[in-house]
Amino acid sequence: MRDVYHDELDDIGKGVIEMTNLVAIAMDRATSALLDANLAQAEAVMAADKRIDTLRTDLEERTFQVISRQQPVATDLRVLISTIHLTADLERMGDLADHVAKIARLRFPESAVPEEARDVISQMGEVARSLVTKVADVVDGRDIALAQAIEAEDDSMDALRRKLFTLVLSPNWSRGTEAAIDMTLLGRYYERYADHAVAVARHTIFIVTGRRPEH
Amino acid sequence: MAKRIDVSDVNIYYGKFLAVSDVNLTIQPRSVTAFIGPSGCGKSTVLRTLNRMHEVIAGARVEGTVALDGEDIYGAGVDPVDVRRTIGMVFQRPNPFPTMSIYDNVVAGLKLGSKKISKSELDGVVESSLRSANLWDEVRNRLSKPGSGLSGGQQQRLCIARAIAVKPQVLLMDEPCSALDPISTLAIEDLIQELKTKYTIVIVTHNMQQAARVSERTAFFNLAGIGKPGQMVEIDDTDKIFSNPADKRTEDYISGRFG
Repeated sequence: MRDVYHDELDDIGKGVIEMTNLVAIAMDRATSALLDANLAQAEAVMAADKRIDTLRTDLEERTFQVISRQQPVATDLRVLISTIHLTADLERMGDLADHVAKIARLRFPESAVPEEARDVISQMGEVARSLVTKVADVVDGRDIALAQAIEAEDDSMDALRRKLFTLVLSPNWSRGTEAAIDMTLLGRYYERYADHAVAVARHTIFIVTGRRPEH
Repeated sequence: MAKRIDVSDVNIYYGKFLAVSDVNLTIQPRSVTAFIGPSGCGKSTVLRTLNRMHEVIAGARVEGTVALDGEDIYGAGVDPVDVRRTIGMVFQRPNPFPTMSIYDNVVAGLKLGSKKISKSELDGVVESSLRSANLWDEVRNRLSKPGSGLSGGQQQRLCIARAIAVKPQVLLMDEPCSALDPISTLAIEDLIQELKTKYTIVIVTHNMQQAARVSERTAFFNLAGIGKPGQMVEIDDTDKIFSNPADKRTEDYISGRFG
């Protein structure tokens, strides 16, 4: 009976890792769909988001079942409670990648990103990729030191977002309101994506240490 | 009325065999402390040293001190019978005296004493003890009937009434619910919550959820190895033990990862 329980805990852990990998791929593809005006890529992101949503529902249901039937305690309990939280964060990260892809599709066949914003958006995509790669390692290996490094990287995402604002608010901005709104939304999507990544890292710190990191 | 217990450097033997080694712990008054651990780890043995019930087994002995509010219950000149009156015990299987009435069961301990007690005084003790044990309303009209005619849960509450009739300061419970159904178990657990306002309670339980529900402090006992003595691994606040225990052996046990 206990073996069944531990196998189920392991499977739930694997599901979380799969979700993390999926949201990493999603944002990476969304960024290239955006920069290259690639419609097929954008639509692939949207289709793949359904798998992320299904995984979340499935993991939540299974976590609930284990809690109700096995009365987990200590690390097991922290894993399961945190799973409920961090799958919500991961699902939201998938949605944000989906939003980025939708902007790419909306402006197709043009690129949604004007030349002068390309560099910043491309950097945001880089930071997002680097962040979520670290998050995947943290979730897989429960590496606390790495979890703390993630917070620092989130700061660079915030800086990029401010840079994007400066661009759009500058008197030299010549791309009109629509593009300004796109840039504002994109900035917001990448920044929120990074914040949820930080939240996932924090939940992992709680799993390992039993203490919630200070904000 | 409730007293504090300090266990210091206690080793417990059955003949030459060291059953439990080097126990150090403090039990606060008006609190519930749970002892958990696998079978044979010595938690019941430790419980029985707290009121000198251990030594009734031939060859059994205890080293170290067990102090009740600072006074060693193993000190020279201490009468073990007095100790057992001060520190009452409730056992795994309800064990009312089978031929005695409910009334006589409750006052059995009092009648053993040398003091002569009036009928009206006894009536008062019977009612207050049965009320404290949450049994009064169920048995008030059949006090002269045999205690063995009650259900298991009622019998266990009768045994608790009998234990508290002699006005102890500490109540030891050795798996008091393991022979009871879930409803009777909850009744006993509720009772424990009421009793802890007056008594110091120590409970041995195999049911970890029960330890988590009823106690403020939990001590985890384990065997150091096959043929080796039992030991106390750690004692801590119950919420800490069940959410983030300090010792990995505790975590493995409560999570069901043994061996």
